Amino acid sequence: MTTPNRAGATPDGGAAQGPGPGPGLTTRRGVLGGGLGLGLSAVLAACGDGAVPVQQVDLEGPPQQGGTVRVGFVGGGASDTLDGAIATNLGDIARAVNMYNTLLYFDDDYVLQPLLATSVTPNDDATVWTAELREDVSFCDGRPMTAEDVIASFERIIDPEDPKSGAAALGHLEEIVKTGEHTLEFRLSTSDTALDEELGQYTSIIVPADFTVEDPVGTGPFMLESFTAAQSTVLTRNPHYWGADGPYLDEISLLNFNDTDALINALLSNQVDAVAQIPPALTEVIASDERIRILNSETGMYLPFTMRVDKAPFDDERVRQAFRLAADREGMVEQVLSGKGTIGNDMFAVFDPAYPDQLPQRAQDIAEAKRLLAEAGYPDGLEVELATAPIQAGVVEAAQVFAEHAADAGITVTINRMDLTAYWTDYLGYDFSQSFWYTRNFLAQANAAVTPGAPFNETHWDDEEFNALVEQARAEVDEAARGELVLQAQQILYDRGGYLVWGFANQVDAYQGYLGGFVENRTGIPLSGFRLDRVWIGETK
Amino acid sequence: MIAKLIVRRLAISLVILFAVSLLIFCATLLLPGDPARAILGQQATPERIAALHQQMHLDQPAWQRYFSWLGGLLTGDLGTSVASGQSVAELLRDRIGASVFLMVAAALISVPAGIALGVWSALRRGRAADTAITGVSLVLAALPEFVIGIALVAFFSTTVLTVLPAVTMSPPGSQVWDFPSQLILPTAVLVLVVTPYIARMMRATMLEVLDSGYVEMARLKGVPERRVILRHALPHAIGPVAQVVAIQLAWMAGGVVVVEFLFRYPGLGQALIDAVNYRDVQVVQAVTMIVAVIYVVVNLLADIVGILANPKLRTGGAS
Repeated sequence: MTTPNRAGATPDGGAAQGPGPGPGLTTRRGVLGGGLGLGLSAVLAACGDGAVPVQQVDLEGPPQQGGTVRVGFVGGGASDTLDGAIATNLGDIARAVNMYNTLLYFDDDYVLQPLLATSVTPNDDATVWTAELREDVSFCDGRPMTAEDVIASFERIIDPEDPKSGAAALGHLEEIVKTGEHTLEFRLSTSDTALDEELGQYTSIIVPADFTVEDPVGTGPFMLESFTAAQSTVLTRNPHYWGADGPYLDEISLLNFNDTDALINALLSNQVDAVAQIPPALTEVIASDERIRILNSETGMYLPFTMRVDKAPFDDERVRQAFRLAADREGMVEQVLSGKGTIGNDMFAVFDPAYPDQLPQRAQDIAEAKRLLAEAGYPDGLEVELATAPIQAGVVEAAQVFAEHAADAGITVTINRMDLTAYWTDYLGYDFSQSFWYTRNFLAQANAAVTPGAPFNETHWDDEEFNALVEQARAEVDEAARGELVLQAQQILYDRGGYLVWGFANQVDAYQGYLGGFVENRTGIPLSGFRLDRVWIGETK
Repeated sequence: MIAKLIVRRLAISLVILFAVSLLIFCATLLLPGDPARAILGQQATPERIAALHQQMHLDQPAWQRYFSWLGGLLTGDLGTSVASGQSVAELLRDRIGASVFLMVAAALISVPAGIALGVWSALRRGRAADTAITGVSLVLAALPEFVIGIALVAFFSTTVLTVLPAVTMSPPGSQVWDFPSQLILPTAVLVLVVTPYIARMMRATMLEVLDSGYVEMARLKGVPERRVILRHALPHAIGPVAQVVAIQLAWMAGGVVVVEFLFRYPGLGQALIDAVNYRDVQVVQAVTMIVAVIYVVVNLLADIVGILANPKLRTGGAS
């Protein structure tokens, strides 16, 4: 049971987006070029002395209706899709969020809220979930959404012939039964207290029973106007949209870029209105332009190092601990994320209500790391190869910074930097590697990555005590009791897990000052979770 | 005589293209990663990978795949893109148009400009204008295209002035030339990179010719200066310069990749980057082959110009 909606990664298990630049993909050349370009811009700006006039815009009043907004992002390629159920890269996610809806969704605080369902509630052992559907929802072609459509949508997702991204997490979904005009039951073969989170993933889209990707009909605020893979997508306002607020825009253009330099140049020359994911290192320079606003959102997104616990040298718990003690976490957040992030404590799901804040924060301790290595049989240090690729902004940089820290502890890290396709080809096979995950709660993340059946078990983690706790937690409907179980499971990861979680990265986006409606959002999905239905254009004063 | 030389050059070009095709094929074999996995991404179940392998003929031995590819090339069939399912020729048609348009626009400006600047500064040898042109062209020639591009963008689009678009963006279905203002900066970068070389080479050969005996003779005979330059000096200088122009234009076929990357220009370069990312081997092979053909053809044309401009050959008095 897992939820492979990690936007961005790709590979084979499916965790991620197809090859091709991932969201926020940053090549070293890109960073250098961008830095060079912006450095030059800054110099020229000093000479020009504010040659670019800044208009005063009224964003105080109620949202204005109308207009087109152009959104740029790096990524996308020949396999870009209009099918939100298999969305992987940034463009796919933006299309999924704006063309379709899910039964539930995660709000800006990463709290699950009703969307197409008014409620989704479990029975006593969480083997049957009852969903009450909204009665006033129409598809963009005007037809009302029915319970049959919802059933067909999930059957489409778990179709054994052509499983979609959500299928792996819905392996226990035995049947969906219509029990009333607008009431459904999800019947499971095992208890799952986190099923609602699955229904809230952006890939769990609701489409009409006769859906085809050639004629993509959804209930979202916008509908398709035109689409060219790897180039651009134009969406227009859905005239049959059921929501009370928004959308305010008449049209949105989603524009693919394959380079950060071009993306930022397009923003600064006002050819795009908003850009998703800018390299943290460039934030200050971009923010110095008075026309541009920066959206800096704290998220639960992390870029961990993954150590395979079933292969030497990482099968020794002391070696894993030594690696964790070698990292200077604050230094990494500072250097890799330019301070746009928070330090990690080798556990994930930082926004889960049960995240253990009380465990002592692990810090760099070179002496202890050396002692542990000596005890594990490496008194003279050891050499490891680290497989890495620009799977997300900051990943390759993190590898380089960690290699420096590790050297102090006698660990020689040889960095094997690959391109994305090569990297994903053997994803899950590397002894020591890196990954990235967007915000998730504990059970969803555990099911995706740290249980024996998990599709993305990067650390090859299979700990009996841990597995038992997760299984219990999945069946525990009482929130307090479940929190207690999660806490114990997290403690195991903290004590002996295969992840080195050094920090959580902020999501940093930029947009023109005349746009309203962008707010900080914890999901890790750029530009306020790509909720462009809330965006509007302010009037010039 | 001339015909024989040209046929010889043509034959050499064909041999080169054959060698290049072999090289390209081997290079794509060496790309790390499995193309089927790259294309399928999330949907990569073992059955689908196997099916795609078969579809891509990855189950056949390499030599067999090479010859069927080469056979396709000779009959004008560039194959099918596995990533998108489209025919490669159709996929690249607009891209080739866009790239060629950019290169031709740049060539039409930089070749006459380079020759004119070179001649003009040769005639002003040692004077201020000559020194200025030599200096500026030396600096420009030393700068990589992306530095020039970034500087132009910073100056005209993003920071000092915001008068020109920084990237190319055209709605689906439209062509790049529908938006002329978006073409100015990419063309300018190519022009600024190519012109200095041509100008410098033109100046050098022109000076050599101006110092030669026959120019002196013509002047002594009282031929008007204008006629000396246009009829006697220029034709002799054009031959060697044609080679440089050819190298520059051929180089542009590769350099355009960088410019397209920087300006999000929807040309061959972008298609190549996409295709490499997706291990879309058919497209990679087609694009590299097209670039190679442009390179070889431009060089062939330069050789022909060189042969035709060579007075010894032209008058049939070759040794």
